[in-house]
Amino acid sequence: MNPELDVAALTRAALAARLKRDVDAIRIQDDLRNDLGLDSLDMIELLFKIEEVFDLEIPNEDLVQIATVGDVIAYVERRLAAKAAAPAPMPSPATAASTSPAPKRAGRRPPARLKAASKRAPAKKKRT
Amino acid sequence: MPPIASPDRRVVVTGLGVVSPIGVGVDAFWRNALAGRSGVTALPAFDGLPLDGYRSQVAAQVLDFDPVRLPAGVAAERIDRYAQFALVATREALDDAALRPERENPYRVGVIMGAGMGGMMFGEEEFLKLYRGLRPGRVHPNLIPMVTLNSASGIIAIAFGAKGVNQTISTACSSSAHAIGQALNCIRSGQADVVIAGGADASLTPLTFAGFCSLRALSTSFNATPARASRPFDRARDGFVMGEGAATLVLESLAHARRRKARIYAEVAGYAATSESHHMVVPKEDGTEMAMTMRLALRDAGIQAAGIDHINAHATSTPIGDPVEITAIRRLFRTRADRILINATKSMIGHTLGAAGALGAVTCVLALGTGLVHPTVNYDDPDPACELGGISREVQERPLRAALLNAFGFGSNNAVVVFRKPPTAVRRRR
Repeated sequence: MNPELDVAALTRAALAARLKRDVDAIRIQDDLRNDLGLDSLDMIELLFKIEEVFDLEIPNEDLVQIATVGDVIAYVERRLAAKAAAPAPMPSPATAASTSPAPKRAGRRPPARLKAASKRAPAKKKRT
Repeated sequence: MPPIASPDRRVVVTGLGVVSPIGVGVDAFWRNALAGRSGVTALPAFDGLPLDGYRSQVAAQVLDFDPVRLPAGVAAERIDRYAQFALVATREALDDAALRPERENPYRVGVIMGAGMGGMMFGEEEFLKLYRGLRPGRVHPNLIPMVTLNSASGIIAIAFGAKGVNQTISTACSSSAHAIGQALNCIRSGQADVVIAGGADASLTPLTFAGFCSLRALSTSFNATPARASRPFDRARDGFVMGEGAATLVLESLAHARRRKARIYAEVAGYAATSESHHMVVPKEDGTEMAMTMRLALRDAGIQAAGIDHINAHATSTPIGDPVEITAIRRLFRTRADRILINATKSMIGHTLGAAGALGAVTCVLALGTGLVHPTVNYDDPDPACELGGISREVQERPLRAALLNAFGFGSNNAVVVFRKPPTAVRRRR
């Protein structure tokens, strides 16, 4: 994976911004639904942000793997590692359809960064 | 106000019209529904957009629609696709009812239509043109009249001379079930003798479709096999399939129908509308709110739960929604739940949003008349969480006394309409 991306800090910052809480209040072991109180629409919005921040597409099939904050971090790290290993990304058969090269990808922006994340997680390293 | 049993307050269905992904016209729709044909196909290429950017790539489109069928005097280019659907369905329904609005007191003929998204087709095109060309002066003068949600109910009144109550109900997925329910109340209250009721939507457009994709509401696992994507109650279901279409029902008071010797399909016996007051897009999981809505509709109809033989389920094929509806049915009907014949029209035509309730209503009415309940296709591996004895992937035949139409919409709103076989039902159309 990209060593310059602090997945844990970015993920916790995204959650903190979403929940309007302090980053320190977001613990790795917290269950997104039961501890942090996210409902299904909150989950979808969170994943929408995560996709944007890390430039990933998360297929519905993978959602069952994600229950806790730690699960989100582990999942993102796994996907980023797979992406780094394979320049033409094929992380899993389920995602193959949605990640095959698109005709208009040339203008694609680099991974966006959360405003809240850059404010609230000053510890993370700058990306190129 | 006359008593509820009075023929002036009883409301019957005397005409049907359909534009659907499995057929334009009631005969084609019903024939294909009984045959279990899927209208779901690959998503069309959206102009200039990478199709693989869409998680879901299947849709139930009306592929054989011909605007030439529009009533004379209506300029097709001046109305959005959804309103064209509504007009064609309405013309068929009025012909079917042999009702000529110009021979009626026009102020006693109303129109109440449902629309979830409205004129999105034209709306999105103009939006794109504006931001691409940066020429606000070139936004089409017909944009506003076309995108307003009541453009369908408006053009229907204009085309057919209906000068009575004219309203549009927009409650997302339950819009046209509410339209039929409100039409019932409108006739019951004495505001109209006849109400043209139904709904339409045609929002298989780049932005709207992308929005439903991002909401993770749509099926994504069957992009290579579109006909298998919509599978209510099946274990492999993974979201709904977006569809488009329209349906219109001619409702009139029993007294009015008898006066003009109209053929009566069914009685619209009751209606309930509630809000779950719970969540914008997720139903209350224990099914209590849906069960309560069904109970209130039965009470309004004066029918016991034991009198219901058929339910046209809302059943969109989402992992969350289907089991809640079945839980609600179990909660209300208890030991009888397994003996009620249940089907999901969306298994063939996808979720037509503002048209869904009206298309389901057409199948309820035809089921009561023929005793035939169309299959739920792709019900291959029943999910134990939403299994009931009366769900089948085959046609089921049985004399049916009364049926429920369920429709539950975003915005936490529920509608249930009760249809009852009239004393002298006419068998028509197999």
